Amino acid sequence: MIQKFTYLYAFGYMLLFPWIVTSQSEDSIQLLTKELQFEAGNAIVLEFSNSNKDLHGLYISNSYGSIVIIPIVEDGMLQYHMPELISNKSGQVTWKLLNTDQPISGAFNIYPKQDVATLETYLGPPSIEAGGADYTMLVVVPTDSLDNPLKEGTSVLAKHQFLSSEKTDTITTQNLIAYKNIYSGTETGRILIASESLGSHSKEYDVNVMAAIPTDFSISADRHHAYADGNQITTFSTSIIKDRYDNVVSDGTFVEFFITNKQGNILKTSGTTIKGIATAKMIHPDHEAQWQIKAIIAGMAESPMISLAYKQVISNIDVSFSENNRFISVGPLQSFMKQMIPDGLQVNVLVRKNGNHIKTLSKSAYEGYATFELKTDIFPQGTYEISIIAAGINKTFKERKVW
Amino acid sequence: MKKTSNKYLVTALLLGIAFHGTSMFFTLESTYDALIHLFFADHYTNSWFEPWNYKWYTGFTVMSYPPLVHQAIAALSFIGGLKFGLFTMALLSVVLFITGVYRFALLITSNRTVAGYAAILAVFSSSFVETLHIFGQLPSIIGISILMHALPEIYLWLKTGKYRYLLTSLSLIAVTVTSHHVTPIFGMVFFIFPLIGMVIMDVSREQVKTIKEISLKVFLHSFLKCFKRIITFGISSLVIIIGCILPYWINSKNNPITQVPIPHGSRDNFFEVTSSGLVFFLIPWGILLILLPYIFYRYYSKRYVFFGLSITILFILGSGGTTPIPRFVLGETAFNILTLDRFTLWASIMALPLFGEFVFRFVQGDLKTLIQQKFGAIYHRIIGGLLAALFIFTTVFTMSLGYFRPSQPQKIEMSPIVNFLNQDQHDQWRYLTLGFGDQMAWLSAQTNAMTVDGNYHSARRLPELTTRPIERLENSKFKGVEGIGSLQQFLTTPEKYHLKYIFSNDKFYDPILYFCGWQRLRQLENSIMVWEKLNVPPLSSILPKEDVATWQKIAWGVIPFLTVIIAFILNIQMLWIRTLKVKHKRIPVYLNYKNNYAQFSKGLLKITHLWSIVLAIIACSGIYIFYLNNDSQRTPENAILSYYDALDYKAFEKAHRLINPKSNLSIDQYMLEISVTDGLLSSYAKLDAIHAEITSQNDSLATAKVSTDWITPLERIHKTYYKTLINDHGKWYLQPEDINLDIPPDQLYADNTTNYFNQGRRRITTEQTYHEDVLKQPVLEVLSAKLVKYENHYAIIGNIQNIDNVPADVVLKGTLYNDQNKTLASYNAKYHMKHKLMPKEVSAFKINFEGIAWSKTQDSIPKTFNPDEFTPVDFEEQPTTFNIQAAGNVSGSDLYKDAALSAITIKPKTISGTIFNSGIAEITIPQLIISYYDDAKNLLWVDHSFLKEGIRQQRQLSFEYPILKHGHVKIISDDMKNCFVNGLPNEDISNKVVPNRIKNHTQNMLQSVTHPEYSFIKIELNTYIGNPN
Repeated sequence: MIQKFTYLYAFGYMLLFPWIVTSQSEDSIQLLTKELQFEAGNAIVLEFSNSNKDLHGLYISNSYGSIVIIPIVEDGMLQYHMPELISNKSGQVTWKLLNTDQPISGAFNIYPKQDVATLETYLGPPSIEAGGADYTMLVVVPTDSLDNPLKEGTSVLAKHQFLSSEKTDTITTQNLIAYKNIYSGTETGRILIASESLGSHSKEYDVNVMAAIPTDFSISADRHHAYADGNQITTFSTSIIKDRYDNVVSDGTFVEFFITNKQGNILKTSGTTIKGIATAKMIHPDHEAQWQIKAIIAGMAESPMISLAYKQVISNIDVSFSENNRFISVGPLQSFMKQMIPDGLQVNVLVRKNGNHIKTLSKSAYEGYATFELKTDIFPQGTYEISIIAAGINKTFKERKVW
Repeated sequence: MKKTSNKYLVTALLLGIAFHGTSMFFTLESTYDALIHLFFADHYTNSWFEPWNYKWYTGFTVMSYPPLVHQAIAALSFIGGLKFGLFTMALLSVVLFITGVYRFALLITSNRTVAGYAAILAVFSSSFVETLHIFGQLPSIIGISILMHALPEIYLWLKTGKYRYLLTSLSLIAVTVTSHHVTPIFGMVFFIFPLIGMVIMDVSREQVKTIKEISLKVFLHSFLKCFKRIITFGISSLVIIIGCILPYWINSKNNPITQVPIPHGSRDNFFEVTSSGLVFFLIPWGILLILLPYIFYRYYSKRYVFFGLSITILFILGSGGTTPIPRFVLGETAFNILTLDRFTLWASIMALPLFGEFVFRFVQGDLKTLIQQKFGAIYHRIIGGLLAALFIFTTVFTMSLGYFRPSQPQKIEMSPIVNFLNQDQHDQWRYLTLGFGDQMAWLSAQTNAMTVDGNYHSARRLPELTTRPIERLENSKFKGVEGIGSLQQFLTTPEKYHLKYIFSNDKFYDPILYFCGWQRLRQLENSIMVWEKLNVPPLSSILPKEDVATWQKIAWGVIPFLTVIIAFILNIQMLWIRTLKVKHKRIPVYLNYKNNYAQFSKGLLKITHLWSIVLAIIACSGIYIFYLNNDSQRTPENAILSYYDALDYKAFEKAHRLINPKSNLSIDQYMLEISVTDGLLSSYAKLDAIHAEITSQNDSLATAKVSTDWITPLERIHKTYYKTLINDHGKWYLQPEDINLDIPPDQLYADNTTNYFNQGRRRITTEQTYHEDVLKQPVLEVLSAKLVKYENHYAIIGNIQNIDNVPADVVLKGTLYNDQNKTLASYNAKYHMKHKLMPKEVSAFKINFEGIAWSKTQDSIPKTFNPDEFTPVDFEEQPTTFNIQAAGNVSGSDLYKDAALSAITIKPKTISGTIFNSGIAEITIPQLIISYYDDAKNLLWVDHSFLKEGIRQQRQLSFEYPILKHGHVKIISDDMKNCFVNGLPNEDISNKVVPNRIKNHTQNMLQSVTHPEYSFIKIELNTYIGNPN
């Protein structure tokens, strides 16, 4: 509605403009209004003396924009009524009369109402790290009912609660805002924050204090037996991982377990923490092994190395050839109690001829046996070197004739 | 003469409306084009005069297609909605087509009964049925129908020189051109030129006694006599054609179609690609093929000789790539732009009057008499029955083609998607559909949200699209690797297009979405999966457009309807005046040239018989060859090919029938084995090529080496299988494969994981998210980064860590600069990183710099290419420095980290090992990310490998990874000062969060290898879970 009138004013001025220009007067015009401080929301009228009744436009400018106002003539005075979009906004307003011989200009101030309607509050970041170095910033802008920030030096109470402590700090607005940096303590948890100004209260805000970076920890292994049966699972666990302030690290922290075996090859598994403990699983090797295990949180923390030995379960593999040596039966493959090895143990047959590798056949054991067939189209008649590899045992038959 | 209604025409109209009017509700929405026209119509309902459409591509102008039909649908939609408009227009097109054929046939044959027959036949004409019910080309049908209406008027103008006929013919041409631009242009050549020839013939005929006496001299004389009229008509229709859709021509000139031609079935060799032959030759010709001798004989008679020439050219052009002639005649460019099926359509329509004539003569004319005399009445009846049966069969077959071979995915309920886009400001981003077929146009019509894709390929503007021979990203899997390659570019750098949401109706695309860093949001009620990408900025509120002059907009909005109104007034009003004022209806002059239907040529009957026999032989032998090729167990090759074909189409019962029955593999066991295998190859691959080489074969046993190429969304896979087949009672069977026998140790086991849920907006509000609901971006740290050159391309490699306390989705954008800080290229990390990192987790990464493939030379497009392959950016200058912008966003999905490297063996050329899945979800696609280091443990290169099979819970999968051969990597820059995380300098973050970092912490845990260039490697595991529980 206000804007509509503004447009009307501006439009009217444009229509009147030629007439205003032609009717310039030599008489001086003076500002009659003495009070140049206004409260936002009050009606503001600038009055100018006027002897010849020329309607000068008044150019008004504040930080939101500019407008030209057409006066109303009353008792021989020019009255300029400020539209609400000017009079509701606090801050300095400059004015200038248009089409006068001498430039006539000035300024007046609008100050905000001194009662808080809303506390505009900003808080961030929403999560910080424990340790006292990281902080979150609370910014409070007390504003009046017309959305003007209250005047400089308005006091604001910044309150926060963390664990058993509740604190209130008095801060004052400066450059329209009041702010406070709230530092983390050494403990993790949630800081609840609120603010108050001139009897108005903000809603509740919160900041999570998360654990700092982890420190070194220890690890352990848990398994059903110590045999390398290639079937059971070993579970590695860390001790409760904490930061240097003794806070348990955040759930989900990624811990990588490196396993170095006898050959110097590196196996890997990983886990994420729950209540500070990360667990990771690894399947047992299928042959005798010595594992050196170390867990690492990259760049931050690590565990000491632990060792784990796996005992060989299969001491010997029986191989029988039949059907022109084309049918190879490996087994029975027996585990530590002479039980048949659980299904799935990998058995490989490497076939070489004159030292050249021809093909590797691979199968998993089923009920303790693995059977292979040397097909005629891949292995024509001749003499081959056949190696059977299972559970880390290599059994080689040199010069095996196949027909 | 007393005017009676033509009962044949009335019958034809009633039949046509009943037949097409009923069936179109089941066919039209699943045609190729109808929904596209609906989308255009939707545009006009929203902004009649504004041609710019933001919804498709990155904005395009609807001035790229003549507007009449779209505007008509739009106008009708104000009454009963878009679909009401569509169906009404379709019904109107049926009426126009039938009456058009009637008028055209009357013009040609000068016999109302014959024309009536032609009209009835037109109802069931297979080419018409196909165009309407399979292709859904409404504007094309309306265009050709109006053109047929125009032909008698044109004839009358040329013959009589009365200006009112000039006006009526021009008004109809105007309607034609505003509904379809190609129709009047080619219509000029193929319909109007022969018509002019026919008029001149008729004029000449009047000067001589018999038609035989028309000599070239007489003909030329008559031509000169009509010349003024011809020229008047020619020039004014040219003006009309250009003037009525002038904005279209201006737009075509300003935005010429500079794109790689999109393959179209009508350009295939119909013998090689039999499906194209069926759709673009056999179906539209249908029964007319049998009548070809009659049609050509009649059209090559003296009066119609120009029609004869015309139909011959149309016939040949319509045969596509079968002969080299069309390519030669049209030229390379036109051949690759035009869809040649329209020539066949026109030829078949041109043949309709003569088809009517033939049937007339067969049913009640001289042909009947001749056949009955020669072969007896029964033969006549049998032949009649056969022809009628064949005719109806073709129609029924054509109509139900969409049922047998659906060209579209199942109808998708759009409202959940529309609701999704409307809520929570989701339409502030662009979206993309996958596997929707042409239904994507219907979705676009219903929502205000925009997509990067579109369904009108002539209007594409992004070079990423125009340089690829694919019509839509949406169905890129059918366009093979080019399609997937194009899609990848959009998925990897979605920020560029403000692409945030993907609606996937096809599981095939899931892996590529995951590995490009997308995450599943949720499944909608219509079982469409919504994928989202984090860190994509919303669209700005003002989008660029190419504006056109206001007069163009007004002309475009007004002229089409104006042409209809004018044509209506001119044509209908004249009809009325004629009916009311003139007691004796003036007979159009073309009815003066009656044909003599008394003496059917005996020779012609003989030739038609012979031709029918030839056709029958061809058909039978075709069927026999088809049988031989498809008899799956006749040869070992057939058995293998059918087996893999069955697997490819997931026809497992068929596949099981090809398994040796003596192997006692029950269908239950077989299906069980199939159902437990998951992975890239078994769930996401399409068989691209297969070659079976029989290595040995005797009567009972054969062995074969089967080389297969599979296209998967991630890469092209070549796999060789060795198969043994046995012969049992003359049938070949495959021996079943061994299955994995591994038994996991635990029957039931527990696993604890940390799960995350982000509330999003905690308040239910349509306002912008409250600032306290916005999570902090997780802090990342770039541990190392360097610009390297490997062979001929540049990449940024390094390691990145999530140093925050929450899981992060990581987007890495790398930019290369030269010494003068000029930007050379910018790209995102694609496959070579784990996009989701748990707190404190590290991932190696590599950013490749991909150019827009083949944008320079169209010729160098490889015939087949690997989706994993990419086109390196062609750098004009040497990149010397780089910048990395890492952005973290909290993400709670795809955080499965339970894959372990359980065994490893290092060989000189390969690394083999096993991966153990220790968690509670099945890993669908495991990925290895391999980092290479030199002897000083400096990172040199990052590579990746997708494993072809999935890993079930507590199972292992063995892999073999070939170590890169040519290893020379040149490090160009390892200056990390331009690395930024969430907009802040990396170094500051590092100093603040991890001030006492243990440098090179995990370097003692690198795997040593024996290789001349590389001394150490690091293997990281990334997993895609297809079915998260």
